[in-house]
Amino acid sequence: MPLFILITVLSVAAVLVRLAYVRFKGPTSAGEKNPAPFSAAAYGKWLAGRIAPAFSKEALDKAQDIYRAWIKEHYPGPLKWIFVGFGASLIYLVASGFFFALFIGRGMFGLPLLGHVMLGGLFAASLALVLILRGRAYRPDQDEASVLESFACPVFKNLSGTRLRKFLFWTFAAFGLVQVATALGSMLPVFTFETQRVLVTIHRYSALALLLTAIVFLDLAVIPRRRP
Amino acid sequence: MKLKRGFLAVAVICLLAPWSWASATKPQKWTGSQTSPVHQIPLKDEFDQPIIPTEKNPLPFSAKYTCAPCHDYSLIRKGRHFDAMTAQSAGRPGEPWIWVDERTGTQLPLSYHSWKGSRNPKELGLSPWDFTLLFGRHMSGGGISEPGEKSGTSESRWNVSGKIEIDCLGCHNASRVQNHSEWAKQVLRQNFRWAATAAAGLGEVGGMASRLGPTWDIFDGPNPDDSEWAVAPSVKYNKSLFDAKHRAFLDIAYKPGDARCLACHATAPAAAKKFNFEADVHTAAGIACASCHRHDVSHDMIRGYEGEATDNPALAAEDFTCRACHLGAASSRSGKILPGRMGAPYPKHFGLPSVHFERLACTVCHSGPLPANEPAVVRTARANRLGIFGVANWTTESPVIQEPVYIRDKNGKLTPHRLMWPAFWAEVRGNDITPLKPDQVLAAAGDLLFPEKSATRILAALYDVVGPDGTPALVMDGKAFEMNADGGLDASPVEGEKKNGAYYWAVKKDGQYSPLIPDFDPANAEAAAAPEAGIQKILEALAADPAPGKPVLAYKSFLYQLIDNNLDKSESKNPAAPAPQFLRLKDGKTQPVIPDEEKRVIAALAGSDQTLTEEQVALVLKALGEKEHAYISGGKLFRLNDKGKLVAKDNDAAAPVAWPLAHQVRPARQALGVNGCTDCHSSGSDFFFSKVKGAGPLRTENVAALRASSFMGVGGLYHRLFGVSFAVRPIFKIVLFICAFVIGALLLIVFLVALGRLAGLIEKRK
Repeated sequence: MPLFILITVLSVAAVLVRLAYVRFKGPTSAGEKNPAPFSAAAYGKWLAGRIAPAFSKEALDKAQDIYRAWIKEHYPGPLKWIFVGFGASLIYLVASGFFFALFIGRGMFGLPLLGHVMLGGLFAASLALVLILRGRAYRPDQDEASVLESFACPVFKNLSGTRLRKFLFWTFAAFGLVQVATALGSMLPVFTFETQRVLVTIHRYSALALLLTAIVFLDLAVIPRRRP
Repeated sequence: MKLKRGFLAVAVICLLAPWSWASATKPQKWTGSQTSPVHQIPLKDEFDQPIIPTEKNPLPFSAKYTCAPCHDYSLIRKGRHFDAMTAQSAGRPGEPWIWVDERTGTQLPLSYHSWKGSRNPKELGLSPWDFTLLFGRHMSGGGISEPGEKSGTSESRWNVSGKIEIDCLGCHNASRVQNHSEWAKQVLRQNFRWAATAAAGLGEVGGMASRLGPTWDIFDGPNPDDSEWAVAPSVKYNKSLFDAKHRAFLDIAYKPGDARCLACHATAPAAAKKFNFEADVHTAAGIACASCHRHDVSHDMIRGYEGEATDNPALAAEDFTCRACHLGAASSRSGKILPGRMGAPYPKHFGLPSVHFERLACTVCHSGPLPANEPAVVRTARANRLGIFGVANWTTESPVIQEPVYIRDKNGKLTPHRLMWPAFWAEVRGNDITPLKPDQVLAAAGDLLFPEKSATRILAALYDVVGPDGTPALVMDGKAFEMNADGGLDASPVEGEKKNGAYYWAVKKDGQYSPLIPDFDPANAEAAAAPEAGIQKILEALAADPAPGKPVLAYKSFLYQLIDNNLDKSESKNPAAPAPQFLRLKDGKTQPVIPDEEKRVIAALAGSDQTLTEEQVALVLKALGEKEHAYISGGKLFRLNDKGKLVAKDNDAAAPVAWPLAHQVRPARQALGVNGCTDCHSSGSDFFFSKVKGAGPLRTENVAALRASSFMGVGGLYHRLFGVSFAVRPIFKIVLFICAFVIGALLLIVFLVALGRLAGLIEKRK
């Protein structure tokens, strides 16, 4: 368990710092590029300066605008509720799962656990619908043959935004499947208690992978690329 | 001269004995032999002198000196069964000693260990002598029953009774003549130093130290002045056990047999029939108690609970937990423990989420009775005095011990517990509640706690009247009350009787009850002659009763009484009595032979194991001093309010005292959960929602009633919701399966398409 906490904290921090750095290095909304060479002090100052605005009303309004635009474009009409269910369940599952895993020694229990199980079902159903409805937007094209080449180090360097989004979309789906399958497996009287332990471990680590994938996807596909 | 020489010899022996005992023990190192030596050994008495069974008045054998040459008695004394007062680490709570006094309704859990809810005997003023008298029947000697020379108290009689040395044979005697009942009997007679000899069947012990004067000493020998009552204890050894060198054969078992352990540790449901009682699954598999509860010569015994290694680091305790034998353990003092010790099966626990292993002890699912609407009532050897057989019935229904109740242990795991509800009279000072000893209560309450006294005195007197073929009885409220051997009343139902509070005296013949005085017409002298002869006999018998007032009989408009030993019949000044009614005539007034309050108590407690009514409690509290006293029973504290009315309140002192249970372990197919999750997870499961009701000597509706979940410290509402969720879980699983199938199928398609494109097998759509 302490290993999982360590891995979680480090990996989430690394991804966030990396994404922030990419944004820092990118052009501003005014089209200005960040001057080279890299300055840690400048990066730190920029990062610190972003914390307060991130919790401002403007940021909230902006997030709502992004959300509405995303819904309007991808989930029009009643399909919106599929995305709402998907997003809400994902947020709850991530929040409850990681809160108890990181801060509560005995793990999840009580009503949060009941909610976790119930919303797990909603997440599974909404994920399946999202894949059915939106999967075609992320279908593999002929260029995907070069995807493997793109994975040469440094990671993602040669990967276009479109390819990366597709890759993240289906990776998210794969980890989602692991989540659903391990949850279902724990409920079936077919696995020994030792396998059950393994299932819980897989569930936990795949949840972390799913979270990281979701963060990168969100950054890449939803939030505007240009920094303020 | 002879006496003087004897004293000298004894003085020398007494001086040398401790030295010889201490120096005689040679540490034993195991050679690897798996056989135990035949114990054909000389028996020694408490002065380290050999016992010659053919001598006149030989002393009882002393385990301390008989075993000392090979076994370190001083080390053994520090062992689990003997160190209650001195133990550094008591470990997890065990069953307390329960001081039961039925007359005062006292059921007080005691322990020298600081276990929650148990009272320390020292705080109650119980000396080692008192404690030994109360509980020596199920103690193994040593410890407090073998106090030092200076620990005697004013009331103690150690010089008469002797001390109770560790009874090695009580556990290690493999002979079938080892008799726990004999042990209990000898302890009751205060024949402490003789008890081990008698119980082991080495000899026959007669006499009673309890009847001897306080100055009697073992050197005094037989009492020449009394051969019937105050007979000094003595032993006649079974000479067939000795060889020509006066060595006795002791059938010693290295590992005590289960019967020896069960003499003090047996537990069984109160409602169980012997033929139907299931032994522990380990016992059924041929595993003895001592196979798991092991120890070396230190007798520091492994109890086998999880976490014991923390409580007692000197023990290899983690090697002998359920998990260690059945699952193995990654590390322990003795290295990695492989599963399968003693053939323990390896459980797969199919479908059991691993959270159960983190939050539940193995015993939750595998030990004790399965949860039911209410916990089962069980009897334990030490609390209910089981396993002591004889003419007298030692076994008691009280205290009521209930199981299973699931409570978290110090590691936060749910563990099945037994519990009992304390009952005692107490002095209340602010928040301090100090129990009163039963004799303090009796002194203040007097006859209030003997409600059957009037009835039993009359019944005793009537025995002479009814003759040898009959038994006198009091018939009241549809029940017949007869005197029992203990001087109390036994109730049995009588068919066809009305429950209207009226009563009559009866005679029981051939199982049938008939009125002691049949209906007759007192006005008809001829017809009344025979009944009146009977009345005269009865009044003569009742006259011997020391109760105040002259016995008389009122019937119809007549009053019968004895005047100058003759039966006098006169017109009664009272209203006509429709049935013959015995009364007491005092100062010209008549009153019932059984006061109304006594009648109410007798009727209320008839056929019940309870011994007190609320009316009695109120009266006793007044007698004790109502402001500063209370009575605790059934999880409630009873006090008198400003209006003198008895009221019940919750109080911590009334909370139940619980201790974990480990046995009886059930077979896997009888484990909790074998039928699926809903064994526990349903909206009304007995596991979470059984009702635990307070039990105690007081007959009352005011008892604590708690849900099982409240003992667990979990939310009842949550577990009801969680239980309900299991009703839809099959559908939930199907939904999850369909979702997983859809997601998996789409992923597979994507993967195959990507693979096809990669291989050039699929062309991009135009």
